[in-house]
Amino acid sequence: MLSCKEVATRASALIDGELSTWEALQIRLHLAMCKGCDRFVGQIRTTRDLTETIAAPEPLDEADNGRISAILSQLDEGKQQGG
Amino acid sequence: MGKADADETELVQLLVAGDRPAFERIYRKHNAALIRVATGIVASRATAEEVAQDTWIAVLKNVASFEGRSSLAGWIFSILINKARSRAAREGRFVSFDGEGEDDNLAAAFDGRGRWKDMPDLWEEVTPERILAGRSVMDHVAAAIETLPAAQRSVIILRAQQGLEAEEVCEILGISEGNMRVLLHRARLAIRTALDGLM
Repeated sequence: MLSCKEVATRASALIDGELSTWEALQIRLHLAMCKGCDRFVGQIRTTRDLTETIAAPEPLDEADNGRISAILSQLDEGKQQGG
Repeated sequence: MGKADADETELVQLLVAGDRPAFERIYRKHNAALIRVATGIVASRATAEEVAQDTWIAVLKNVASFEGRSSLAGWIFSILINKARSRAAREGRFVSFDGEGEDDNLAAAFDGRGRWKDMPDLWEEVTPERILAGRSVMDHVAAAIETLPAAQRSVIILRAQQGLEAEEVCEILGISEGNMRVLLHRARLAIRTALDGLM
């Protein structure tokens, strides 16, 4: 039987569906009997979901508009010098 | 051609034509992530902002030659990584993305037989909106990502947040897929530990 440490090492692979059927089954058997690992895998799943939750891009502020203008004017200068 | 591909082709055409609203749209979508990735590689936030700005100039100069062999985002981030690495080298810094020498932070949680020394806590209702220690969970997640080593930070931003394909992330960072998975797992472990400390 897998140890808790081995299960924890494979937690991301399990929730990302990257394990073979046999490996996933071994871990699920362990989780059915081990509350600690079951909680840990739940925590890693929550962590994954939170890190994949993307906040909507913030609106452009004055500084961003200034940077965009600087980028575009630098390009225009390059074009004029080149052409 | 899928809708996403068609949208990207249209966006590229607009960028080639010098359309400012199209540039503003893509800048808004990626600029913060460009700076966050670069900050892990160069010495300071100010330098990272410069690297991001240089990246945008290179993107607009060369977008006409973008052939769609990768996603547009993947192409932009590969330019950023190259520029950030060159800048780091000029600063006398060498940044490796293979993650060697980085331990995960979990080894001490187990006894000699690989069993938990202390059982992990049950997390209840951890939603993005939940407030912990005066800040939203998402603010804590963002802060934890800021503290990750460059390799883990790059993988979690590119793969989990920017949604790049695994293959693309590996190519951009020059790492194997197995290595990328290890880095992603370590990044999650570090963020999980940061959140667990607040529960």
